[in-house]
Order: sequence, then C-alpha cells, then structure tokens
Amino acid sequence: MNPIDLVVDAVPSGFGALTGSLRRRMAGDFNVDEWGLDPELVALVDSVFGLRWNISVSGADRIPKVGGAVVVFNRRLGVSEPWVVARGIRQATGRFVRTVGAPDVVAAGPLLRRFGAVLDRPDEVAGLLRAGQLVGLPMRRDVLNREHVGRLEVGRIRAALETGSPVVPVATVGREMGRDWQLVVGDPVRLRRKAGPLAAQELAEATRSVVQELLDENLPANWWW
Amino acid sequence: MRVLVTGMGGELGTRVVNLFEHDPAVSDICGLDAYPPRRRIYRVAFHRVDPLDRRKAVSVVRDFDPEVIVHLGIYEPNARFNPTPARLGTAASAVSVLGAAASCPSLKAIVVRSGIEVYGRRRGARTRPDIDSAVDPTTPFGVSLARVEDVAREAGQAAGVPVTLVRGAPILGPSFPSPVGRYLRLPMVAVNPLAELPFSLLHQEDAAAAFVSAAWVRHDGPLIVAGPGAVTASQAVRLGGRIPIPVMGPSWFFARRAAELLGAPLPPHVAELIVRGGVADPTSGVEVLGVEPRSTRDVVEQLYRWETVASVPVTHHRPGDQPGRGRVA
Repeated sequence: MNPIDLVVDAVPSGFGALTGSLRRRMAGDFNVDEWGLDPELVALVDSVFGLRWNISVSGADRIPKVGGAVVVFNRRLGVSEPWVVARGIRQATGRFVRTVGAPDVVAAGPLLRRFGAVLDRPDEVAGLLRAGQLVGLPMRRDVLNREHVGRLEVGRIRAALETGSPVVPVATVGREMGRDWQLVVGDPVRLRRKAGPLAAQELAEATRSVVQELLDENLPANWWW
Repeated sequence: MRVLVTGMGGELGTRVVNLFEHDPAVSDICGLDAYPPRRRIYRVAFHRVDPLDRRKAVSVVRDFDPEVIVHLGIYEPNARFNPTPARLGTAASAVSVLGAAASCPSLKAIVVRSGIEVYGRRRGARTRPDIDSAVDPTTPFGVSLARVEDVAREAGQAAGVPVTLVRGAPILGPSFPSPVGRYLRLPMVAVNPLAELPFSLLHQEDAAAAFVSAAWVRHDGPLIVAGPGAVTASQAVRLGGRIPIPVMGPSWFFARRAAELLGAPLPPHVAELIVRGGVADPTSGVEVLGVEPRSTRDVVEQLYRWETVASVPVTHHRPGDQPGRGRVA
C-alpha cells in the first residue's frame, strides 16, 4: 500500500459529509467536466462562500431550467460579482454558471476553472451553449458610477445569436466590501432580428438597457457607497 | 466490399480486421504493417511491409485494388517506435499507401486515423474544440497527424472519393501500447497540480468500432471520437492507486528523465496532455458513426485493472474448419 492510500485510510469516516468527500477526493473518486468544473469542490467550499456573501435572488424562475442560456450581469469593481452571480443562481436553480473571463495562465486559470470559469472566446462560449451550459457574461466595469451599468461588448454576445440561446439580464446590487447582495433576474431579452450585421449590436444594446432598468428599480437610494 | 487496412500489426489494426472478418458483407481484406498481427486472423491477406518501402507498399495496394482503405498506419512517438522513426514512418506510409490508393479504379472511400492532437493546446486556445475548429498543432505528433490529413485530402480529391478523418482522443486499453498508458501506470507519477487541465481518452475497442463504422458510413470530413467526460492527471493517478509527485517548472526536465529511465518516456504530446489537458466535442462521432464510446473515467479504471490470467485450451484448426485462413505474403 502506498503512502497516499495510508493517508486516505487514516481519514476518519465518522465525521459526516466533509470527511467522506475528502476521502473520495484523495482517492481520485470525483468528477471534473471537460471545461474543468469540479462540482464537488464547489460544494465543499460553499459554506466558506456563505460566510462571505449573503445573496438574495428574485426572479430566478426566469432562468431556463435546462439548455444553454447567457446570463448577462453588471459589475462595478468586478471582484465579488462573478462569485455572487454563480453562487446565487446555483442556490436558486441548481445550475452552475460558467463565467467568462478565466485567464489561461498557470495556477489562476486552472483554479478558477474548477469553480466554473471559462475562457473569453466567442467559440468557447458557443461550444458551452451548444452543450446546454449556463454562461455568465459580465459587462464592462463602471467603478466610478454605481448607477450606471458598463458596456456590453458585441463580440461577446454574438455566440447567443449563433446558437439561438436566450439572453437573461441580471442586475447585481451590493457593495464590494459588504456581505449582503441582491440579484434581480429580468425576463429574457427578445430578439428583433435573428441574423444580420445589426442583430448582435441590437441585442447588446437591448440587454444593456434592461440591466440598467433593473438596476434603477432596485438600487437603494440611501447608499453611502 | 474489399477493404485494405494499413497499420494492421498493432492492437488497433488487428482488432479492426477481426471486426471486418466477422462481417459477411466484407468479401476481401488485405492488411499491411511492418510487424505481424497481434491476434489470430482468419481471412486476411497480410503483407509485411516496412513503412519506408514505398515500392512494395504501392505494389500491394495497386494489386489489391481496394474499395475502402482504412489507414491506421500512424506511428505514435514512443508507443512502438522512437520519435524520429515514428515521424518518418507515419509520413512515408501516408504518402505511399494513400498515393497508390488514389489511382485504384475501385476506390470508394478513405478512412484515416487522426487525433485531437491536431488542435494543439496553444495558450488561450479553445478548451473543447469541435470539427469546425482550426487545426493548429503544437507538438510534433500533432504536426504529423495534420500532414497525414493533408495527404489524405489530396488523395481523396484526386480519386474523387470521400475522406473520413477520424480524430480520436488518445487511445488507451489494458494491452494497448501507449505512452500515456505507460506513464500513468508508473508507481509514482509526476503531475502539475497547479496547472493541470482535464483530458479525454478513448478505449481501444471503441476506436476499432469507430473505424469499422466509418468504413461503411463514408462521411466526407473530420469526425471527433472521444470518451465522454474528462479526468485530470492527478485524478487518474489516484484512481490507479499511484503516488502523484507535484512537479513544476524546470523540475519537469528531471521528471521526464526519470520517467524515461523507468521505461515510460514522455513525448511532447503526452506532456502537453498531462499538463494542458486535451478534450474535444465528440458529438460528431456519435451522431455520424453511431458509436457511443465508454466514458473517460471507465477507460482510466480499465487501464489499471489487471484481469486474472485465463488459460484457454489450444485448438488446432485444419483447412476447411474456418471460413478462410490467414496467410502471410
């Protein structure tokens, strides 16, 4: 028996799900999907995330229960928002959000992929949507003005048009250093055109305006930040 | 149907011709390789031909005049050959066999073994490419496969027949000579836990079934065949009860030398697979070929499973006992 097996056997089995999960992981008995998502690792650290963020979600029933969809959300500084959106939607719907923007560099890239991050490439997003995944698409940062949502790049939303996937706008309301966050999910954006050079442009503008409306309706007036 | 199978001496080639032998619709089978087949064959005309012996290979192909050619004469570096002979053999075999096949009057289809290594794993490259993704190999084996694909396309255009490029995930099996399999079965395996990405594998039986199906379907273009799901290197190592050794940066140099000394050299395409991962969208293979490969996790578990040795009583066949007898030319 090799030393790793000895350690696995030494992990006590009577301490609930955590030790059981650790034993399985040390034995290699867990699943990683083709993009690197490790659902069991996400579940393991979920309680830690729960200490950092308290998330309430409204309108979660507007997110498709199956099939590919793009979740477009605003961000201010952009550190908490991807985690908040991924955890909030997972808690509300049971679906994992594959947030676009993982760097393809050692340590950070593979680690973020374990939690669902994916590369920022239109063909990567299209492949995820065809595979029935929920893709999280952050808008540009707007650090200075909390009342304005950032720009949504046209190239990033084009995959939704190509695959005919619904685009669901989500407004994130919260402070970077705060614990309480709110997610407001809007109705999927209706497409005026399904093809043509203007289609992606119009879809990006329509999505941005819906996220702006959701933010206007839900942003507290008396925030100090 | 008259089928010519190159690379027949390997595990995959022998298994493919065994499957063709059981199909009554296949009237004649001809096989080529530098080494004799691994299993008993019953009605295959096997020709022992060195990959670099172009004259003999061309003569055999033209004399047989195949309807379908299944080109499995791809020599993976450090599987049975060292990297240089493997590269030269792969290139020479493709040019001579596919070139000769293009001038055969009965030819109706070409099926070629390729691999997902043709997509490469350049930094920022798509994680899970599909058949529409651009070919951009980043290892010598990937480059070899891409060249074979080019030769096959050229031969197909010259003959006016469909060319099926079967881009398989790395093929593994309990008895399949594979550098990935050998490496993962070392008692201690170097992995990079901070950088590793998942990879997919393909079982040898599923690969054989895919090539036989491709010979009948006659699809024109690339297809991806890979086991669903993926594993990381350290996960595979632990599934096999081996000890993962964390290795990073320049220490890979020493890890490679150590693996080579232990009999499991690590060619660049395997090192890339272990660290940068390697998956592809297998939807096309399932839809077109109708072959549903076993999962990557199952392939890894079978790699480490040592079946009990079974004693099979020897049977002596007399002429006429079988539908045909293997003969070596």
